[in-house]
Parts: sequence; C-alpha cells; structure tokens
Amino acid sequence: MKRLLQASLILGLAATPAAAADLTVLTAGDQNMVDYVNDYLGPLFEKENPGMKVRVVGTGPGDAGSQKIVERFDAQAKANTEKWDADVAVIHEKFAGPLVKDGYLESYRSKIASGAMVTSEKAKMALGSDVDGYVMPMFSSQTAIAYNPSVIPNPPKSYEELVAWAKQNPKQFGYNGIKGGASGVSFVMGWIYAFGDGDANKLMNGPFDEAETTKWDKAFAGLKDFTTNAVLTPGNAGTLDMLSRGEIAMGPVWVDMFYSWKADGKLPPEMKLFLPAPGMPGQPMHYVIPAKSPNTELAEKFVALATSPKVQADGIVKRFNWYPGIDAKFVQPELDKASWDKLFVDISPDDLASKGKPFPIAPYNKAILEAYEKNVAN
Amino acid sequence: MQKRLLAILLVLPALTMIVLFFIVPLFASIVGAFEIGDTFGLGNFTKSFELYSKDMIFSLVIVGISAAFIGLFSVAIGGYLILGENPRAVALLRWLYRWPMFIPFIVVGQVMRTFLAKNGLMNNIFVSLGLLTPLQTVGFLDWRGIVIAFVWKQTPFVTLLVAGAMASLDRSTIEAARNLGASRLRILIEIVLPQIAGTLLVGLILSFVTMMSVLSVPLMINAQSPTMLTADIAFRINAHGDYGVANALGMISLLLTAGVALIYLRQTVRERS
Repeated sequence: MKRLLQASLILGLAATPAAAADLTVLTAGDQNMVDYVNDYLGPLFEKENPGMKVRVVGTGPGDAGSQKIVERFDAQAKANTEKWDADVAVIHEKFAGPLVKDGYLESYRSKIASGAMVTSEKAKMALGSDVDGYVMPMFSSQTAIAYNPSVIPNPPKSYEELVAWAKQNPKQFGYNGIKGGASGVSFVMGWIYAFGDGDANKLMNGPFDEAETTKWDKAFAGLKDFTTNAVLTPGNAGTLDMLSRGEIAMGPVWVDMFYSWKADGKLPPEMKLFLPAPGMPGQPMHYVIPAKSPNTELAEKFVALATSPKVQADGIVKRFNWYPGIDAKFVQPELDKASWDKLFVDISPDDLASKGKPFPIAPYNKAILEAYEKNVAN
Repeated sequence: MQKRLLAILLVLPALTMIVLFFIVPLFASIVGAFEIGDTFGLGNFTKSFELYSKDMIFSLVIVGISAAFIGLFSVAIGGYLILGENPRAVALLRWLYRWPMFIPFIVVGQVMRTFLAKNGLMNNIFVSLGLLTPLQTVGFLDWRGIVIAFVWKQTPFVTLLVAGAMASLDRSTIEAARNLGASRLRILIEIVLPQIAGTLLVGLILSFVTMMSVLSVPLMINAQSPTMLTADIAFRINAHGDYGVANALGMISLLLTAGVALIYLRQTVRERS
C-alpha cells in the first residue's frame, strides 16, 4: 500500500524538475505565507543574489500543509533521490520533531549569523522533541479571541466567563472546529488546559502518559454543550469573515491574521482582541533545510537573510504583524516605536508571557483531536 | 489464431489502463483499510465507527434527500417539456435547465457559499425587499446548503435522461388519456412516469454515486460536524497522515453506494426476466 503511494508520488515529482538557478521554498500555511515570500522575501533575496530566482510553493493551510511537505520528503528519501526538489521549507512546529528523527534535515543554525540571536525555548524543543540546531523560527504566532467592542463592551476574561457569556448570547460565538485550521484547534487545546482534570503543564511539556488521556471526559462534555450554543465557521479566514459581517460577535483567531485583515480594511477598525485565562496556545513556524537540498549554501544564505534583525523587523513585525522569531531585543532597535507598539495594543507583553501557551506535545495533541471527534463531533 | 492475438493486442492498452489505474489502487486501498502498522485487523473500522458514525448517517441522509428532490424536479421539468401547452415557456425551459450541468462542483460550492450565507446575497435581497429584518435572517450554510447545491447541480443531468426517455414515448397513450379528459398531472403520474421509471432510477443512482464522492461542496459549505464522509477522509489524510482510517472510510462509502447499485441490479434483472 505504502509503496504504491510512494511510486505514484515519485511519478508526480519526477515530472516537475526545478531549474538550476532556482531556490525552491516550500511553505505550509495560509496564503499570507506564500505572499510573504513572493512579495517581500523573494525579491529581496534576488536583489542580493543577482541571477537567482526564488520559487515558492504553498502546500496549504494548517497541519495538512506541513503533512504534504513531510510526505514529499518521505517519498524522495524512500526513492533514494540524490538531490531533493526543495531547498528551504517552512513547517509547523508539530512536524519538526518527526523530520529531525527521520534524519531529513540539516543542522544549520550554528552556521548562520542570526542563529545566535535565537533564544526561544521553542527553537530547542518542538512539542517534546529535541530539534536544537535544525530549525530557525520564522516567527511566533499566537491565537486570541477577537471581539466586537460595540456589541460586547466588557469581554469575558477567562474560559469560565466565556462559557457563561456564550450561554447568555447563543450563536454569537463562532469557532472553526478542528478541521478548518489551527485557530479552532488552539481554542480546543486551551479548553482542555482550562477544564481538563489532568495537569496542563504535563500536556505541554510531557512526558506522554496514556492515563492522562482519560481525564478529559468532563471537559469534552462541557465543550459539546458549549458548541451547541456556538456557530461553527468554515476556517481561520471564515471566522474573521463572519466577524466582519457581524454574523458572530466573538471567535478565536490568529493574532497576525487579525491585524493584517484590519490593516487591509477587511475588518472594522474597532475590533479588539483578548487572551482568556488560563491561556491559549501559539506556535512558531520554522525554517528548515532538507539534508539533500540541491543548493545548501544558498539555502543557508536565504534563511540567514530571512532571520536577520532587519528582515524580522520590516517583514515579520511591520508587514505581517507576527511576533519575531529571533529574540525581540535584536529586533526592537530596527523598528519605530509605533510599529512596535502596534503589536501589543490589545495584548500586553505581560499577558503574552503569562497566557501565551505552547500547544500540547505531539501525542497528546493527537489524542485530544481524536477525543474531540469522538466526544464532540460524533 | 493470428486474429485472436490481434484482438488481445487491441484490448491490451485499455486493459492495462483499467488494471493499473483502477483495479490496483482499489485493491491497495481495500488492503490498506485492514492494515494497522505491520499487522492486519479491524482497528481502522472500529475507529471509523467510533469517530464518524454520525457522518456516515449524515452522508446517506443528505444524499438521499438530495436524490429525492432531484427526482421530483427532473420529473416536473421533463413532464412540462412534453406536456406543456405554452410553446414559448417550453422553449425557454428547454434552453435554461441544462446550464448548471456545465458548472464544476467547486464553483457551485463557491457560488452557494456567497449566496446562502447569513448576510449573503439571498438574505440581502429578502431584507431589501422588506420581507425579513436583518435579525431574522438565517444562514443556510449547513446541511441545507449541501442539499441545495447538490440538487441544483444534479437535477439537469437526471432531467436530460428523463426528458429524453419521455420524448421517445409513444404519444398515442398520452393523447388517448387526454381525449378521455385526464388532467396533465394525472397523465404525468399515471401514464408517463411508470413508463420511464427505469431511466429515472438509473439517473438517480448515477447521481447518488456522484454526490457521495463530492468533496468540494461539503468542504466549502459545511466542513464541520456533522459533515460528509469525503471531508472526513480528506481530514484523516491531511491532518493525521492516517491512510488506514481513510481507506476504511473509503471502503465504507463504497459499501454504501454498492447497496444502491444492488437495488439497481435487482431492478434490471426483474425487468428482463
């Protein structure tokens, strides 16, 4: 079965060879990730390296996008392909561990200048797996609850208050379940952190213990009840879309998408964000370089540029409203005060530090998603 | 002998295509449904039922309701095409009804999504006509949206078959009934419909199978719970990389459609005997 799939994959891959002077970047995530490379990073790199062409391939939003990258590497590794068809990949945190374990990645952080500027713990451990040296965080992103202050002057401050609010205001809270992107997944994870009978810290830091997965029944029963009062939206963008059209008054969103939509005028300017206690997860996206990249040196150069303080300031913070991947203290001097402050209008740095949680480690993550499907969706 | 060899050679390309691109993948996915790691078992099926039993029923009910509406509308349109008395209306209907057939499912999903949303085009029209207030509007982006999309897209296909069958009927029975004073509705139900029932059934079964396999419409209109099995299969592969359960779900939907095919086979056998 597996072999057949691989054979068909390889067949497809062989049909799309990359030209020699191309640097191929695979990126998971929403369209904004592709835009970032196409409109900003690519042209910048091409200017510094005349004759180069940066080709970007978007593999789709959510975990599904990263999964496609993993399968592509898998297929080429199993086929013993000498040189793979990607130079740089941008993946979700969850997939960094497995890729490192399979030996598909190059350890390159110590080889580039910006490597020393990374201080985040998330660059060392990714959901319980050691990835130290193999990844460079492109940015950190955070989920939060967006709301319309003209409808809700005093938003709830915690998950408990949110439940009470949703009961009083049926069909005014919307989230995208777990099949339509990670903002809904994040809301569910936060729910388990808040209402699960187990230890939330254990979920975030490991180790994995089968017994822990039996402690969520009450939390899921509550979530099922909550969901009957909520609206299910079609995706990350779907939640924002329904917010902007006033079809819902509140919903979990990615902070960066929220600010970008607001900047584009796709959301009313008065919309605000809050992080409910005990907190919601966020995650970095990582730059990785496949061990068999055809242009390893150029790929390193590309990531070095992408994680330099200047690009992190102009591209990541200013243009796309993400939190920087390298230590913020290297980025702050490159930014004017207004742009820096904009990142922290609704969610203060303190809030971010205390309520910005990591996602649960991979096995818990999987167990929670399946338990959701079993207990809430079915 | 040589003639025979030639025949085999002629068939060979088609046969290889079928074996390579249909039989082998089908067999592989059936085997894959029972594969758990390196061993074989029913684990993928238990998990499928544990997680998606509601979606299986949902898929069947949605497709069943859609098929019923498609049958109703196609007979109504087909009936008007042969029994209608206003030549201009008949010509207009004949010209109009086929259009949705040429629109891909993904586009149907997209169109329906902007049309049926709570603050979408349909409700905006109602509001501006003063029929509804903005607070009364309801979005149709749930099971109803899927049914509407399916019916809209598949009715022309079945109508095409049904109208063809109706046009080739011996008109003398219709004329006779009309001479005896039967109403047009009665002629349609008692004279025309029994004669084209076989064709209608074939059309509906083909539509049923098509609708069971559509991913784009449920994904765009209602990918949440409950949803169609196709959306679950995509989710298993995309988010979990879990081909085992995806294969099991595929087999289950194959069995569901096989049930319909069986009814069809029985019907044809009975007709022939």
